[in-house]
Amino acid sequence: MAAIDWTVNGQRRRTDVAAGAMLLDVLRDELKLTGAKPGCGEGACGACTVLLDGRAVKACVTPALSARNKTVVTIEGLARGEELHPLQQAFLDVEAYQCGYCTPGMILGAAALLEREPAPGEARVRQALEGHICRCGTYPRIVEAVRRAALEMRRG
Amino acid sequence: MADAGLLREYKRREFLHLLNAGATLTLALPVQGAQTSTRIARVGEVYELYTGKIDMGQGLRTLLAQAAAEELGVAVSAIRVIMGDTARTPDDGGTWASLTTPQTVPAVREAAARERGGPPRPPAEWNVLGQSTPNTLGRDIVTGAQIYAGDLRREDALAGVILRPAALKARFESVNDEAARKRPNVTVVRQGDFLGVAAPTLREARAAARLIQAEWRPEPDPPIDQLAAEWEKSGVAPVEDLQTRYPPLVRRGDAENALKSAKNVQKTSFWLPFVAHTALETRSAIAEWQGDRLTVHCGKQAPFLVRAEVAKALGIAEEQVHIVSHMPGGGFGGKQRADVEIEAARLARAAGRAVRVHWSREEEFRWAYARPAGLMVVESGADEKGRITAWRHRVYNAGAPGLPPPYAIEHQSNEAWRTRAPYRQGSYRSLASVANNFARECHMDERAAEFKRDPLEYRLAHIEDTRLREVLERGAARFKWPGPGKACGVACTIEKDGRLAIFAEAARDGARFRVKRLLMVADFGAALNPGNLKNQMMGGMIQGLGGALFEEWTPATRSLRQYRVPRFSDVPPIDLELIDRREIASAGAGEAPIVLVAPAIANALFALTGERKRALPLTR
Repeated sequence: MAAIDWTVNGQRRRTDVAAGAMLLDVLRDELKLTGAKPGCGEGACGACTVLLDGRAVKACVTPALSARNKTVVTIEGLARGEELHPLQQAFLDVEAYQCGYCTPGMILGAAALLEREPAPGEARVRQALEGHICRCGTYPRIVEAVRRAALEMRRG
Repeated sequence: MADAGLLREYKRREFLHLLNAGATLTLALPVQGAQTSTRIARVGEVYELYTGKIDMGQGLRTLLAQAAAEELGVAVSAIRVIMGDTARTPDDGGTWASLTTPQTVPAVREAAARERGGPPRPPAEWNVLGQSTPNTLGRDIVTGAQIYAGDLRREDALAGVILRPAALKARFESVNDEAARKRPNVTVVRQGDFLGVAAPTLREARAAARLIQAEWRPEPDPPIDQLAAEWEKSGVAPVEDLQTRYPPLVRRGDAENALKSAKNVQKTSFWLPFVAHTALETRSAIAEWQGDRLTVHCGKQAPFLVRAEVAKALGIAEEQVHIVSHMPGGGFGGKQRADVEIEAARLARAAGRAVRVHWSREEEFRWAYARPAGLMVVESGADEKGRITAWRHRVYNAGAPGLPPPYAIEHQSNEAWRTRAPYRQGSYRSLASVANNFARECHMDERAAEFKRDPLEYRLAHIEDTRLREVLERGAARFKWPGPGKACGVACTIEKDGRLAIFAEAARDGARFRVKRLLMVADFGAALNPGNLKNQMMGGMIQGLGGALFEEWTPATRSLRQYRVPRFSDVPPIDLELIDRREIASAGAGEAPIVLVAPAIANALFALTGERKRALPLTR
């Protein structure tokens, strides 16, 4: 066990972390933030994606200790109170989901993209999210939602 | 593991019940005690609506709320849908076979109309049904608040892990679990070939499991490439049985003699591999005993079947088992049977505490059932102009769904032969309809080419159903069908009363090929929620793309890196047209859109390369 200091969804906290524990397990089991989902255990499906200092990481293969002194944002921390993040709003408007299991990871993967590239074209969105699987097959709607959100965010 | 007998019996009863009783459902296997048949109850300001089915992403929760709201004259938000709980909901069948729309929706409308005190409203007067009501779970989905089966926790539950052999078939030789049993708070359970460990944390359970020395005697995995020959040799011919949802033998005229006397006979064989469902969420269960009563929280499509299977496996009566099914992250037919529930229940009984078991991705690939592989042999006889007069379609192992052709052929014999499969296999979105449509629609294409006919025109020449003609004609116009020789392919079918046509264009991509575009036109009768229906159409096509191009399960499949499912870059532009016929009863549409993707692409590839591909996946 080691204690780490970090910021999760805007909140400074200290968390005991078992040696070798993955970020995903600490978020889900210790912090009860179940928005990040397990899917494959090898970083191949993107369902567990969260933001670590603004970068999208696969939490199932990211050691929890690597989050020490860093900032983590999960899907639960993306909205401002009742006001949804533009990506959440766009996914909702387009209904870019079926079962919704991949949605938190998709939205955070897209958030990291739009942080760096405010106006990605369709091909760029696909490429950036290639590591995310939507088994229900809503890919075209997801691309549409991300581009809508990008437009909305550029308008401010 | 649960046995096949209960599944068969459950499905048979469900089918007969629907057949005889029409819209008012409540079915139960004969064992149970109290069984609710309540559909709708007013609770203060809202109505509660009860169904034993579940939502796994197909939009059932929203659709049923729409149906009730329509008849009660209230807002969709005034309907609370209670699902998949064997103690609270009626047993109205499993969530499978696209039955919700044609069976459950009418039942809910009837019940809601009775509650209001009048007949169901005619479609022409609908205000809520027929609208693209947004998914009622939408906000929870985008905020991460939606709870899936695997998100459930109980503070006091132990973590369970199962020890499994290296080979798919193996028997115990010896077990030494002394060291593991000496660990504090560790329970080891061995029953027959079941071996599992429960401990306060997953870490402790895994550590204890590592201390167990188990020797299995493995049986070699039978090679898949010999199955086709084996099935053709040992398959058992079907007998007529119309008291079943998918009759294994459908005949018309005298196919045997018509084939013998036909001018031109052609026979082609097709292969469909095993495919893994690969729902993004792996299965899990929390089991808890209170005395001799068992409660299991899980994420399964058929809670009442799971209850029967759990009860049988644990040697208790069904009324002692309470199954609560929560939303799973995808199902696709792969989450119907009891498996992880039985494992958790066994561990919980021995430990005297609640136990949670959550399968890994590797366990999903190894120990869940796959979609059955299939050998399809299609033989047709034609006259000198190419008109098909005789037809025999034999499918081995895959199953009977999708077997009868949508074509007007005088002499037919459609036969689903029974076989022994060496691997766990079971339901999958549309089941054998993918196999049978692939074989039939590719065979039709071969016949068209042989007689130098346009594959579209050739199909139309064999179709009497006006709605099927219309989806083909509309699709051809919208796709700008160029006729033969232009790297384009077409396929069509009548699937569970829906009419569909898919058009595909292929292009060379270096030494390989790629799918350039896809188009589907579909007619499912009245579209109850067009927005959700289009979402299903798109999703079904993209799932079909995986099976068409690269999905293939083998006993060696262990991880997502080895098993390719469609990703963003695999999806070509897809155009959809939905024909909404308000006056015609709605067909279920969750499965149908998957069934034509492979043949449309295979036919486009023939047009591109001149080569016939008769085995899936096409990139192999």
